[in-house]
Amino acid sequence: MQLNMRVVAEDYRLGDALSPQRARGELKLALVNDGGAGTRLADLYQAGCLKIRFPRAQDVGTFEAVTLNLSGGIAGGDHLDTHIHLGANAQALIAALAAEKVYGARVGESARVETHIHLEAGASLDYLPQETILFDNLWLERNLTVTMAADARYLGVECLVFGRAAMGEVLRHGELRDRIRITRAGQLLFLDQTRLSGDLAAQLSGKALAGGAGAFANIVCVAPDAGDQLNAIREAIRHGGGEGAASAFSGMVLARLLAKNAASLREGVVKILEICRKGRALPRVWQS
Amino acid sequence: MKPPDPAHLLQLLTWLSPAFPTGGFAYSNGLEWAVEAGDITDESGLGDWISDLLRHGSLWSDAIIMRKACRAPPSQWQELAEMALALCPSHERRLETLAQGAAFRLAAAPWPCPALEGWAQTPLPYPVAVGLLAGAHDMVEDQALVAFLHAATANLVSAGVRLIPLGQTSGLRIQRRIESEILRMVEGTQNATLDDCGGLAWRSEIASMNHETQTTRLFRS
Repeated sequence: MQLNMRVVAEDYRLGDALSPQRARGELKLALVNDGGAGTRLADLYQAGCLKIRFPRAQDVGTFEAVTLNLSGGIAGGDHLDTHIHLGANAQALIAALAAEKVYGARVGESARVETHIHLEAGASLDYLPQETILFDNLWLERNLTVTMAADARYLGVECLVFGRAAMGEVLRHGELRDRIRITRAGQLLFLDQTRLSGDLAAQLSGKALAGGAGAFANIVCVAPDAGDQLNAIREAIRHGGGEGAASAFSGMVLARLLAKNAASLREGVVKILEICRKGRALPRVWQS
Repeated sequence: MKPPDPAHLLQLLTWLSPAFPTGGFAYSNGLEWAVEAGDITDESGLGDWISDLLRHGSLWSDAIIMRKACRAPPSQWQELAEMALALCPSHERRLETLAQGAAFRLAAAPWPCPALEGWAQTPLPYPVAVGLLAGAHDMVEDQALVAFLHAATANLVSAGVRLIPLGQTSGLRIQRRIESEILRMVEGTQNATLDDCGGLAWRSEIASMNHETQTTRLFRS
């Protein structure tokens, strides 16, 4: 149903007289911990195609939220904006209900996805969106900015799937600029700028690049004790099906994984996330 | 563009020579693991790997950072150094750039440069150090970048030749092959912005991370 709506939008693009249908979404979420009752909602604003739901939390003291993109995927010209603010000592887990599809767009008609996360002293956020599935001729600019206090904790994952292998889809052209920027105690800690542009099939096959993998994941955990998990994460990667590695530096752990498809990537990602969550189970939307 | 000054060429040859004590020979950028893992087994494989790094990996980002450091006003130096470090996605990549940056700054003492003073307590990534010195001496940026990339790639070729191992002639053929890549890249980075840093050299980065756990190693990265 959602997919059909998108097809209609594509048809619109053919006629210049009709302006293309573009999705807009805005989500602002502020959480506080005022002691006693734990973390609670302080402010919420949602507009356009971005929505948020609040399942009953699995962990006592942790606020859980699940985001949805009602437009059924991201197409050229779409603009999604998310702001997440955790006050001092707030604890939250924010996941996405489903994988996000990024459809083909006309050259230069880039989609923009902006996510800004702000974590005050002692705050802790697990930000666990599901896979982003890239379709041929995608055109996406995505920015994730995390600004955190020295003792805050951030766990984030990002999974990119290069076309749906099961459907025989191959990624040939397009452009992706995907940036993660983490600033801790006012200092830039980590900057990751994924740039895919032009002949994507050739780039993804490079031996020093993606080596022909069908999916990639990036897991970042920033916490005063983040380095403690390094050996366990390495052990999990060694025994997993895909390829990958982890490294610890400056109070953070970074793991990168490559796999032949989304399913085997997810297997590896789930293991690492569970280690970073010190054994706590993943939210229900991840258990499928 | 101003013509290159022979005095500048002379200095670049010194600063970016393997004899300049930055300790570059001790770092393989993860190449040692890639050879151990069987990802690089021959001349063409080593050439492909280095070419990937030039187009989409650490060498691409370093080139842009070096150019920026050449031009940047003092008010931006600190931010540039932070960014260059933040772009390094592993413990050993950080070690590699900071140790070489610090060694380069100390070795450059005979060529007085206010831009390189005041970094004793502040992390100074290698491409920033080289760019600051070249900029302070008003060098032609393209020439300085050619010298920088020549040194970086020659170092990787040399590491690969020892690790695989390959004959010297193979190594030289790779350097010949890389020439056109370097020149294309010098052109391609002329108008690049810091947003253009990065890429997708994930397997190279994974190799660098895995190198941390490699039991028998000749290189520090």
